[in-house]
Amino acid sequence: MSLTIEPAGTSAAEASLPAPRWRHRHLLDLDGLDWSEIEVLLRTAEDMRGVLARPIARVPALRGRTVTILFYEASTRTRVSFEVAAKNLSADVVNITASASSVSKGESLVDTVRTIESLGANMLVMRHATSGAPYLAAETFSGSVVNGGDGWHAHPSQGLLDLFTMRRHLGDLRGRKVAIVGDILHSRVARSNIWALTAAGAELWLCGPATLLRGFEAWAGSWRGTAGGPDGRKGFVVTSDLRAALRDADVVMTLRIQRERQAGGLLPSLREYAARFGITRERLRGARPDALVMHPGPMNEGVEIAPDVAVGSGSVISEQVRNGVAVRMAILHLLSGTLAGSTAPVEGTARG
Amino acid sequence: MAEVEAVVAPGETIAELDVTRAWLIDPASGREGPGEIVVEEGRVGAVTWLDGTEADGIAPDGVIVAPGFVDLHAHFREPGFEQAETIATGSAAAAHGGFTTVCLMPNTRPAIDEAAVLVAVGQAAAASGSPVRVLAYGAVTHGRAGEELAALGELADAGAIGFSDDGSPVRSAGVLRNALLYAAMLDLPIVDHPEEQGLTGGAEANEGLVATVLGLKGWPAAAEAAAVARDIAVLADVVATEPRARLHLTHLSVAESIDLVRRAKAAGLPVTCDVTPHHLALTDEWIAGARRYAWQAEGVNPDPWRDRALVAGPFDTSLRVNPPLRRPADVMACLAGLRDGTVDAIATDHAPHTRVDKDVEFGLAANGISGIETALGLLLEAVAAGQVPLGRVIAALTVGPARILGSRLPAPIGLNEGAPADLMIFDAGDRWEVNETSLRSLGHNSPLLGRALPGRVLLTVAAGRVAYLDEADPDRD
Repeated sequence: MSLTIEPAGTSAAEASLPAPRWRHRHLLDLDGLDWSEIEVLLRTAEDMRGVLARPIARVPALRGRTVTILFYEASTRTRVSFEVAAKNLSADVVNITASASSVSKGESLVDTVRTIESLGANMLVMRHATSGAPYLAAETFSGSVVNGGDGWHAHPSQGLLDLFTMRRHLGDLRGRKVAIVGDILHSRVARSNIWALTAAGAELWLCGPATLLRGFEAWAGSWRGTAGGPDGRKGFVVTSDLRAALRDADVVMTLRIQRERQAGGLLPSLREYAARFGITRERLRGARPDALVMHPGPMNEGVEIAPDVAVGSGSVISEQVRNGVAVRMAILHLLSGTLAGSTAPVEGTARG
Repeated sequence: MAEVEAVVAPGETIAELDVTRAWLIDPASGREGPGEIVVEEGRVGAVTWLDGTEADGIAPDGVIVAPGFVDLHAHFREPGFEQAETIATGSAAAAHGGFTTVCLMPNTRPAIDEAAVLVAVGQAAAASGSPVRVLAYGAVTHGRAGEELAALGELADAGAIGFSDDGSPVRSAGVLRNALLYAAMLDLPIVDHPEEQGLTGGAEANEGLVATVLGLKGWPAAAEAAAVARDIAVLADVVATEPRARLHLTHLSVAESIDLVRRAKAAGLPVTCDVTPHHLALTDEWIAGARRYAWQAEGVNPDPWRDRALVAGPFDTSLRVNPPLRRPADVMACLAGLRDGTVDAIATDHAPHTRVDKDVEFGLAANGISGIETALGLLLEAVAAGQVPLGRVIAALTVGPARILGSRLPAPIGLNEGAPADLMIFDAGDRWEVNETSLRSLGHNSPLLGRALPGRVLLTVAAGRVAYLDEADPDRD
């Protein structure tokens, strides 16, 4: 089911990019996707990388469609990445940056989404500080909603681009060890990576201070039993032992530590965090010599990751950003195939 | 087949009611079985228990007659939040749920922290025209702020049935101790909402697998258990010198709390508790999109993702409630507590909200379930699943709360010949759909919308007057 994109300038195919079979109207989380669907996304992203390699990285897949990017939280890379992805697909892009304070001033999300729809949006990419907010938008919006990050819950495009980046370097991830280190509790990136990497069969380790891992041991335990996790997933390991998490790891991903964790009483200090959990060149020696180093950004260099590691030989952090555009192009392209005017079968529930 | 013949008009004294070949439940006398009941001019004329061949074919799966239910915990939002509910609409909802007495919480605006507000509530109840008895708690502290005692004595004189800062716990153990002592002098209970707020700041859902996976801030079981343990310790200290002190713990939701109350009762402490219908059936899995009852979640470690139990979208704000919906194991512990009598009463914590307050992001949504009309249906689901006997459920809705209210309940509970009729009749074999038309409450914030619940209420009679009359097709079987 490979997607072929005709070279630019070959008339007929320009107007009608073939969309692979894709049943989900929204992309809100990765928990509802099975491996075959994730593979379709990854293969489509691979094709989009081909588009990005062209002198003029633009295809008309979303010509005439409007993608509205609604961010209630400050973000540069994800917002710009979606914007570039949409423009590369020839969509019209509307950017809305809503301040989080406007929420408390009584502007309801439902009203905002209705307004955006009335203004002609076909696809809505949203980021919100509250877990689950995109599901509320999806109930109201008649087009497609893409979750650009909601609270602590999910960041599906990030999970996919991380998976895509790992697969480009390592191929099949079955049996490959991936260690995610940092503030797991408050991380939507960690949660989306749990779904993506367990589906891929990776050996996943989550590591951080005990206060920032709370609840994940129980989640892991739930999947460790004889029944395993959903779709027979084998689960993941949760530990505060950084040395064990890094030992022979193929991938080391660090997460941003926010200053608020100190004020919230979850950490004694960022300095202590850096001393115990910061990824330094020294600590990275425990991993495989060719281990990939990843970070979803933005980085606190010198806290969760040492500056020399961030730009070191194994670092694929810049490549994550480039791959993010390809993955987001794939997401927008596949979802657009489910919208009105398309012949693809549609599953329209918020869970779809 | 039971027959219900009635000459009735809503709001009026019930002229004539003749129920034949029904199932009667009278927890006051401890009796339950086939029987017949006659009501004339608002009074119970005759109660006849059938036996032998007369009783053949009568089972508790059809028309059932029970005393009117008493709800120890409801929010009717008046004064201050009349868009969400008024005393008139709340009373109509109560009657539709089979309740003839409701005890309102004082977290109105202004709070019921002085007698004038309580009097206004009583006037609104009288003006509603509903015969449902509206009783109310006073606040424990001024403005429910947790610091200075409210006008407890004046509130007692004006008819308060006890004191509660519900919505919030009585934060300070010192304030709780003084409140227990002072209320004991007035012969009234303190009703606490047990929550150690140091553990629940910003909490959105029960701390557990569902909250972890969905990225919701957890409300740990320990926050309730710690508060229950504190309250019981303070009570023990108070009763040593003031034996009239009474503590009622409302809407308990976790296994540890039930166990603490069980042990406190065994030690002879004057503590009672209630559990809501939603905490006796629903679980936090519903927030993930599961729609199975607690007893349907199999195994010691259920996981709705692994179990392929997710059938609806996640983050439905009608499921946001305080205390939150808990794990299946907690629900099973609450059911066990109900069976063994640790749980004295089932109280609805009916908490209607407007759309404006619920059609928002999950973490921003108001806490509460509009539940006074769906209480019976949810409980009958538990009965049908063999989780608790019907008689025990009815007792926990009638004599259980009546014992806690004591002399503050104006009339005794029971199917008592010669007394003003105070009863409800429902058809356990008939289902009704919960929807925006069938609900009488202004609050449509129910996770059960669209479901068909067992136990259609046919008639509710409070103090001899018709409070609710089912207008459905009279030819229905």
